[in-house]
Amino acid sequence: MAVYRDVVCPFCGCLCDDIEVTVEGNEIVGTRNACAISRSKFMNHSANKIESPTVDGKAVALMEAVDAAAEVLVLANRPLVYGLSSTECEAIGRAVELAELTGGVVDNTSSVCHGPTILALQQVGESKTTLGEVKNRADLIIFWGSNPTEAHLRHIIRYSVMPKGLYTPEGRKSRYVVAVDIRETRMARVADQFLKIEPGKDFELLLALRAVVRGAKLQAEEVAGVPREEIDGLARRMKGAKMGIIFFGLGLTQSDGKHMNVDAAVGLVAELNHHTKFLLTPMRGHYNVAGANTVTTWQTGYPYAVDFARGYPRYNPGEYTAVDLLAKGEADAAIIVASDPGATFPADAVRNMARIPVVTLDQKVTPTTMLSKIVIPVATVGVEAEGTAYRMDGVPLRMKKVVEPHEGVLPDAKVLKMIVDRVRTLKEVD
Amino acid sequence: MLKIDVTLISGRTSGQGSGLEIGKTSDDYFGNVALIEIGAEDAESLGVEDGDPVEVATSHGSVVVQARVGRGLDPGMAFFPYGPWANQVFGSETEGTGMPSYKGIEATIERADGKGIPSLVELVEGFREGS
Repeated sequence: MAVYRDVVCPFCGCLCDDIEVTVEGNEIVGTRNACAISRSKFMNHSANKIESPTVDGKAVALMEAVDAAAEVLVLANRPLVYGLSSTECEAIGRAVELAELTGGVVDNTSSVCHGPTILALQQVGESKTTLGEVKNRADLIIFWGSNPTEAHLRHIIRYSVMPKGLYTPEGRKSRYVVAVDIRETRMARVADQFLKIEPGKDFELLLALRAVVRGAKLQAEEVAGVPREEIDGLARRMKGAKMGIIFFGLGLTQSDGKHMNVDAAVGLVAELNHHTKFLLTPMRGHYNVAGANTVTTWQTGYPYAVDFARGYPRYNPGEYTAVDLLAKGEADAAIIVASDPGATFPADAVRNMARIPVVTLDQKVTPTTMLSKIVIPVATVGVEAEGTAYRMDGVPLRMKKVVEPHEGVLPDAKVLKMIVDRVRTLKEVD
Repeated sequence: MLKIDVTLISGRTSGQGSGLEIGKTSDDYFGNVALIEIGAEDAESLGVEDGDPVEVATSHGSVVVQARVGRGLDPGMAFFPYGPWANQVFGSETEGTGMPSYKGIEATIERADGKGIPSLVELVEGFREGS
């Protein structure tokens, strides 16, 4: 029996790095410190696995699937390379290389999570910090349109609400916690103060708070369903904090206004920095979606939605983003890595994906693998393969390998390298 | 009342997250995702209880799922966990941002007595047939 300590969890953007995993033989038999989702990931990593590489539903050897995948991508006029947020950085680099080589588009799942956040931050900048600083210093924690009690289960325990830090010696008691949401979530019940706002009115409330922080007196009795007294009170509390932070989620990015909501949040935080230290951090969902943005930016200059059709990278969310390319019927082939657009995209985009040849690299059977022409099983990063991932605050951590993958099953990076090499050969022959 | 108007939002739940790690073909995932949460008052006006089938419809599509009476939801508000059932009713228009509107869209919910909830395989077949 082997016990692996300080294992990094490959589920959400918290990248908790204190997990203990117990292995007997080549089976994971126990975990410690893991949240419910993390435990499910480690304990069930071998359930519902894809048994073998397939082409048109028939089991084939890995090399045959790689050849077929390369052929699909070389024959396509506008191939889409998509996913990448639940794999490690080397694989992301290979995916970008593949898009460049095939003159395709590379996009990652941030286009349907914090893509609008990136759009806003590119316009107005970012006041950011690490989760360690939050733990040690922040005395006002605001969750806005985010619900860590369902999506980032140990965030409040490890980083933001409960832990005792250098200047927060009493843990929970050293902090005032606010939840802003349209419904009373579990997070809202854990918080000291809950502001229930009307759906789609985040922008208005953020601007009202900013105005009050600047010294304006609100004329309206309420904004976004929140009474004036509560807005005045929160503005006062924000200005009086030693260090405050807004952890915001998809409540801002997926509602009407999208990037403009985040723009307003950044504006509020900028205003607050005239009075005290104030920051904001997006609650990134997939464990390495921040890495997908980081690696794609190193290599192309842009974080997602990158088109190589002209041989050089161009960036245009709304045009080169996966949902748009599929919904408009532009993509004529796709390779999906570590993602399941068949379950996560609106149905009309998925119906168009069902029309084109799709290559999928994944561990488990999903709607996307069911709709794919070519499926290649790969090793689970952080369980069966090593690699680097970026936490939601931009801190890179090394993922561990605790068990061996099935014989012949390789990590994403290796399979992508094989496809890249094969595409190069096919193009030379042309 | 047989039909109500709601504002629909979608999002992650811990059950959806744990279920997908078992596998999207698992009963656990189905049980956590093929459902819609509504508040107690709306459940009462529809005359539905936990587990009853309801049909959720928007201008983009419709789907039958189980009703779940959720805490903290005001009347006229419904919560759909992320997944292929929810995505039957969301549209792919991104208004130039790349991001579809997954939160805050208008929908109706009505009782679907006797109607079955589609399985994952049936949804996938639907994608193929619609393509």
